[in-house]
Amino acid sequence: MKAISIFKEILLFVILALLQVLLLNRISIFGFAVPILYIYFLIKLPYGRNKFYVIISGFLLGLVVDIFLNTPGMNAAATTIVAALRSVILNLYYPKNEYEDLIPGIHVSVAAFTKFTITMVLLHHILLFFIEAFSLFNFTSTIIRIGSSSLLTIVLILALDSLSFRREKVSG
Amino acid sequence: MRNLLTFIIRNSHWLVAIILIVISFYLVFSHNSYQRSVYLTSANNVVGWFYETSNKATTFVHLSKNNKLLLERNAQLEAELFALKAYLSDVQIDTLTTKAFLSDSVPVSQFSFIPAEVTNVSFSGPNNFITVNKGSSHGVKPDMGVVSQNGVVGVVLTVSPKFSVIIPIINPKFRLSGKLKNSTNTGSIFWNGKDINIAQIGELPKHEVFHPGDTVMTSFSRIFPKDVVIGYVTEQIPSKDDNFNTLNMRIATDFYSVRDILIIDDEYYDEQNQLENSIP
Repeated sequence: MKAISIFKEILLFVILALLQVLLLNRISIFGFAVPILYIYFLIKLPYGRNKFYVIISGFLLGLVVDIFLNTPGMNAAATTIVAALRSVILNLYYPKNEYEDLIPGIHVSVAAFTKFTITMVLLHHILLFFIEAFSLFNFTSTIIRIGSSSLLTIVLILALDSLSFRREKVSG
Repeated sequence: MRNLLTFIIRNSHWLVAIILIVISFYLVFSHNSYQRSVYLTSANNVVGWFYETSNKATTFVHLSKNNKLLLERNAQLEAELFALKAYLSDVQIDTLTTKAFLSDSVPVSQFSFIPAEVTNVSFSGPNNFITVNKGSSHGVKPDMGVVSQNGVVGVVLTVSPKFSVIIPIINPKFRLSGKLKNSTNTGSIFWNGKDINIAQIGELPKHEVFHPGDTVMTSFSRIFPKDVVIGYVTEQIPSKDDNFNTLNMRIATDFYSVRDILIIDDEYYDEQNQLENSIP
């Protein structure tokens, strides 16, 4: 059971990384909004997953994206910080429970999942865009980029999650 | 002591997180100081392969547009060729005057070109780079200039045997000296990170006359030949500096669709570089 879930996670890791670098990063709506979907990987890890596993896989995911986009460290730093804070954010919205294999999803609880997603994405985007801008650009343009990109990413993640739920229901 | 140990063991995931964050920030800052590592960029072979494969698919989409651009360019060059041929024949007919001017062998050109194909362009953020499918095994070296059929693209930053990464005009770390056509005053070209089609030319003297649509060209530069088009002036930006003008210009290269580029190999670059570095 656990081996299968880890295999699924590796698959999700690869798919999200490739999707991000080959497709999503070429989308730039109005020159501001870029969907940054790979953070979905951290959202979909099971509730009770080992913290080392979460942090190290987050770092690796960020690093892979960085290597493709020629931005060493930026995505890795933002994603590692989010991965480290993941358990804290989870505890904010989900009650502590014994279902360690519970995967946060829109079909478990819409409100909690939406809040969780918004917090994770906002935190990640704020970190990422400020590391990226780092004194180079003016504040308002960075804020617009954070706002529009977060909105796009959140909508995309919620849509993707409700889609994958429907498919599971049909097959199972 | 035991309490301390249990505390450390219980919170050791924070320790791992902090170490990884420090590594990431180290990468951020060492890269910012213009470090040229191949392994952590898209010039490395694995990443290059992924981009090349995906590029094969996307090239199809731009095929007709690029074909049209090439045809236009071809027509323009052919017109130029005819003009020059006509001129040459005129001059040759007048044998009395020209024998002295025509050299008996073809002079070696200072610049040669390495054609390459773009495998990846990033333009979603401020840190833009271009990856192309020619590398050191094809003779590409860092600091070579890169042009497209329309104008300047950027400068080679890093090379691996098969790929190289180019830092384009649309990267805030890019600097190039340029001038307006029909003028001798040089300015500095940079990008403020806002619009992928618009770059800025600053440090132009106040008395410099310009009109929207004026061509911006390379001036003396160690990387580009003279008079390569960079862009076209669109408007003036209100600046705080009293002595200099800053202008917006539309970049001649369309980064959304750039596919075929030429890397400029300057025959005399090494010699000039050596001479300049020999000055104590």
